[in-house]
Amino acid sequence: MTTIKELKNVDPFTLEIVKDSLVAIGEEMFHTLARTSMSPVIYEVLDYASGLTDAKGQLLTQGNGVTGFIGMLTFMVKETLKKFGNEGDLNPGDIIIINDSYAGGGSHLSDVGFVMPIFADGELVAFAANKAHWTDVGGKDPGSFSNDATEIYQEGLQFPCVKLYEEGRLNQAIIDMIQANVRFPDLSLGDLWAQVAAIRTGDKRVRELCEKNGTETVKAAIENYLDHGEQMARKELAKLPKGEFFAKDYVDDDGFGNGPFHVQVKVTITDDKFICDFRGSHPQVPGPVNVTYTGLVSAVRTVFLAVTNPSQDVNDGVFRPLEIITDPASILSAERPAPVSVYWEAMQGGADVVMQALAPHLPDRLPAGQLLSVCAVTLSGNHHVNGEPFLIVEPSAGGWGAAQGQDGARGQFCIGDGETYNVPVEVAETRYGVMIDEYSLKTDGMGAGEYIGGAGVIRSYRAMTDKQMVSATFGRNKFHPWGLNGGEKGSPNEFIIEKKEGTTDGPFGMYPRYPLNKGDVVKLMTATGGGYGDPLKRPSGQVAKDVKNGYMTVAQAKEKYGVLVNSETFEVEGITEKREN
Amino acid sequence: MRVATDIGGTFTDLVYVDQEGSIGVAKSPTTPPNFEQGVIDVIGKSGVDPQSIQTFIHGTTVIINALTERKGVTTGLITTAGFRDVLEIARGNRPDLFNLRYEKPVPFVERYLRQEVTERMSQQGEVVEPLDEKRIRQLVEYFRKENVDAIAVAYLHAYKNPTHEIRTVELVEELWPEVAVTASHEVTKEWREYERTNTAVLNSYVKPIASSYIDRLNGRLEELGSGNLRYIMQSNGGTTTFEQAKKTPINMVESGPVAGIYGAAYLGEIIGEKNIIAFDIGGTTAKCSLIADGEVKVSTDYYIEKDEYHAGYPIKTPVVDIVEIGNGGGSIAWIDEGGALKVGPQSAGSVPGPVAYGQGGTEPTTTDANLLTGRLSPKNFDYDVDMIQVEAAIKTKVADRFGMKPEDGALGIIRIANSNMLNALKLISVRKGYDPRDFTLIAFGGGGSMHAPALAKELGVGKVVVPVASPVFSAWGMLMTDLRHDYIQTYIARVSGLNFDTFNNEWDELAETAIAQFEEENIAKNHVRLLRFADMRYAGQEHTVKVPLGSGPITKESISQLIANFHELHEKNYTFKLEGAETEIVNLHLTAFGSIEKPSLKKLEAAGGLAGDAIKENRPVYYEQEGWVDTDVYDRMKLEPKMSFSGPAIIEEQAAVTVIYPGQSATIDEYGNLIIETEVR
Repeated sequence: MTTIKELKNVDPFTLEIVKDSLVAIGEEMFHTLARTSMSPVIYEVLDYASGLTDAKGQLLTQGNGVTGFIGMLTFMVKETLKKFGNEGDLNPGDIIIINDSYAGGGSHLSDVGFVMPIFADGELVAFAANKAHWTDVGGKDPGSFSNDATEIYQEGLQFPCVKLYEEGRLNQAIIDMIQANVRFPDLSLGDLWAQVAAIRTGDKRVRELCEKNGTETVKAAIENYLDHGEQMARKELAKLPKGEFFAKDYVDDDGFGNGPFHVQVKVTITDDKFICDFRGSHPQVPGPVNVTYTGLVSAVRTVFLAVTNPSQDVNDGVFRPLEIITDPASILSAERPAPVSVYWEAMQGGADVVMQALAPHLPDRLPAGQLLSVCAVTLSGNHHVNGEPFLIVEPSAGGWGAAQGQDGARGQFCIGDGETYNVPVEVAETRYGVMIDEYSLKTDGMGAGEYIGGAGVIRSYRAMTDKQMVSATFGRNKFHPWGLNGGEKGSPNEFIIEKKEGTTDGPFGMYPRYPLNKGDVVKLMTATGGGYGDPLKRPSGQVAKDVKNGYMTVAQAKEKYGVLVNSETFEVEGITEKREN
Repeated sequence: MRVATDIGGTFTDLVYVDQEGSIGVAKSPTTPPNFEQGVIDVIGKSGVDPQSIQTFIHGTTVIINALTERKGVTTGLITTAGFRDVLEIARGNRPDLFNLRYEKPVPFVERYLRQEVTERMSQQGEVVEPLDEKRIRQLVEYFRKENVDAIAVAYLHAYKNPTHEIRTVELVEELWPEVAVTASHEVTKEWREYERTNTAVLNSYVKPIASSYIDRLNGRLEELGSGNLRYIMQSNGGTTTFEQAKKTPINMVESGPVAGIYGAAYLGEIIGEKNIIAFDIGGTTAKCSLIADGEVKVSTDYYIEKDEYHAGYPIKTPVVDIVEIGNGGGSIAWIDEGGALKVGPQSAGSVPGPVAYGQGGTEPTTTDANLLTGRLSPKNFDYDVDMIQVEAAIKTKVADRFGMKPEDGALGIIRIANSNMLNALKLISVRKGYDPRDFTLIAFGGGGSMHAPALAKELGVGKVVVPVASPVFSAWGMLMTDLRHDYIQTYIARVSGLNFDTFNNEWDELAETAIAQFEEENIAKNHVRLLRFADMRYAGQEHTVKVPLGSGPITKESISQLIANFHELHEKNYTFKLEGAETEIVNLHLTAFGSIEKPSLKKLEAAGGLAGDAIKENRPVYYEQEGWVDTDVYDRMKLEPKMSFSGPAIIEEQAAVTVIYPGQSATIDEYGNLIIETEVR
């Protein structure tokens, strides 16, 4: 199995050093992009990925801000190879732009990808690629992704794998088209230049690496690196429980009153395979909660990494044991022209059933259910000081599930996000036409357990001008985060509108373009995660401390945990009969 | 006499310079928890007459230790109504992406001690809601009852208008004079509430610790009768007085390490090198920092306990830009499950230490590899080195796995360690748009000189300097420091619409603050030097570039120069510029130096000996290209100015060894520094 011996003439340490260099190049590309981007959704949310693949499109190294993109770069490169497959189709200096959700994209049109072939000694050795969420790509709604789209054509400009640069020459026509079709062309084109700069950095560094070590050595290192990844994954796979595991859950609705839609999986783990069979899940739906197969793959890869070795270097070798099966044109494998704007609902729904199937057997790796939805918010209007238009595009942090030996995280972005940062209140109030009345934990005391589910988050935007519009997509509104091994379930994601005159509208899970006038407040409230284990086993001293900290009430301590806590001194005064038994 | 003492993990170092400019060094064990004892010990050991000490400069790990060991005091937080959970939500990020059991950093203040008060400023600094003073009184009572020892106050937009914070502190001090209190605007005037709140909290958390430590040290120095110019090293590469350090101890969090970087810049000035890469290898980590055109870079993007798997805690105070990686002499070599050789970040530490120490260490380390390849000699150690054990560890744990000789396994360890360090060096140079060929590497710390010549060659750096006192170079750097304060004020403004009057006023205010602060520290105005920078970006971007701005009132010309400099720096850092795009200022940054008199360094006399006389032995050393080569070993103490010789060569001094490779050459300069030409054209 070990490949080190098979590589003649290249010593193992040189291979290791070249591999490290490839990883470092991936990181450099990643940081370049964040620091030059124009869009908060890129530089704060880090809703992008960048990396390198080999000449066949196998992922070598990927810098990730979010888990949702893991592996998507591969599919962009493979699409490029499919389209430009003939000798001479690809040349040094070419850069391809692509966001086609069904062919090589995988998420929604807002995520725009770039691919650059890298040549050394006249030979194609690798690809540099990146993919980032642009603030706007046109389409019917500000921010482009739209929770009431019915066709992909409403969701923005489609870049069907075309050359932006041909041998280093810019195709100005594409730039002009973008300029004319998006709402904030400075932002989107700023991101485009940042992505081009980052991808070219990758090209330059790989060529330098080949020059220094020889192209053959680099190719050998690439092959070795992929095999190394596979070996690491198989070693971990051997430690997993073997057998078949099942789970079924629901995606709330599609924004048009249809739903719920069932999503199911059979996970089969053998000595050398990890198979997720989603057949039998709901067919693709009219609203934009569908995900394409590529998107589903990314979601499942995230869970696969979590249960094998979360801290390993990620490359396509790691995923060789993984197989994913779906029906055609299902909610998890949507086909053109199904809308996919808020694809993460089905995508994370797919990841979540895999977790539900495995969590009871792998409590040391997987926690109980979490907010799951990106809980995306777009809020647009004019700024109250400078009168300029503004657009907020952001995910919401919420509660995670508890796990064996660990309370759930409070206020953390969902599984599909990752190194995602919230926008500071002070930055938001300066940049946008809003004031934030509250940014706090939603301590509803749900998700009871020996280990308690993490609290969700409340964030309230007060409109500072008239004629603002808010759209929000908060899944896991009807089906709450699940508890594990006796833990209780959490609470839903939801939001309400508090009108200036004192009335309240909602709660909602999904709503397109709710109008806000000056003084109106949209109060966003994310889920509290599921609990782990029997609540009666939570130490009474800890329960009293939870009450003192306001994570639960005196009544909840008594009712769910059987602990009587003094409401003044927060001391334990006794336990209930239920707890005694 | 000027004396610097630097507390490290194992040793407390002392370096002094006397009136003639002569340098002396001493070392003594560090003495936790009473660190001041180690300082007094090392003064005794150095033979310096305490009464002859005029200026005393001190670097300490007391603050960082209190933070990382959670030995601070119980702290309460007063914050704007609706926002007490900002400290716990933090930024909501999860750097360890695929670890679904990721644990967020636990806030330094528990929820029941995070209390809210009605008050509100707008983003423009206007009062939206007045401060509820009654509530402050209640909270003081509450915190007393809960046995709080320190309080932090952090309100929204206090960087813009701190009046509510100022009033709150007044009330707290009036009601409870004994409690330590910090308002967020006192430690940082930058926006981003989580970062600012956390910085204020951490300052309060260590304030009583810092006060009692500094008071104890001060008392001991008084007893010894040393002179009263006493300074503490801050993270920004400058010093401050003992009194100021007690107010903002959070500014001392990187007290020791940055002094070496500053020292490298200062040494560069003396020997005529303006572009420097400072490189420091210790037992568990390697640190590097780039100094372009003599300027030590400082930023406020600093965190503790942050790495690729942990979000850490932000501290928004000015800290010298240092990249640190987990590779030092004690880093352990290991084979991962896929059969690849890795070095670090796990370290054998000082206990049990490398196999060579014979103190129970069984895992091969970089030090062991350097020993087996002849770079180090058993004689360099205070321990009885068992070479059979060292060889056996490298053979069984590394070499046998690849079917190679032990020395090749050892060389593999050195190469992988070098590769890790090279990536860090590239990160601060090539990847920031600098060409290493324009730089000189200054290597120090116990392991810096051992690895630097090979790394410099790989990186393309032509010259390496191993300074006098390289193993205690941080303390040397402290000797050379001036007082320094950085004032950073968030000031959001489009450059095209800039109002020159208000802009000039802002700068004047910062300058007045600086001069007033120095006055308090007994530095006259004519000894104060001010440097101005604007943190700038293209409108719409988030991250900024620090752009120098000349002195004097702002004019149309100085603004066009500022914009031009920005475009150029943006292109240098990020490969592109957007000429014609709107630019924006985010922060004003004033750096103020208060210079104190320093003796100039003495040039050494050459006695006219030959380099050959300094050779103490000849031993085989294993090189990558050449294999085993009999190599001359020089005694650094016997090397004199103008001596020169070619590699391969080893130079030994107390606590450091320099390896010069075949094809490289070394000379001694007039200050005793070792200058190595690395064979890079």
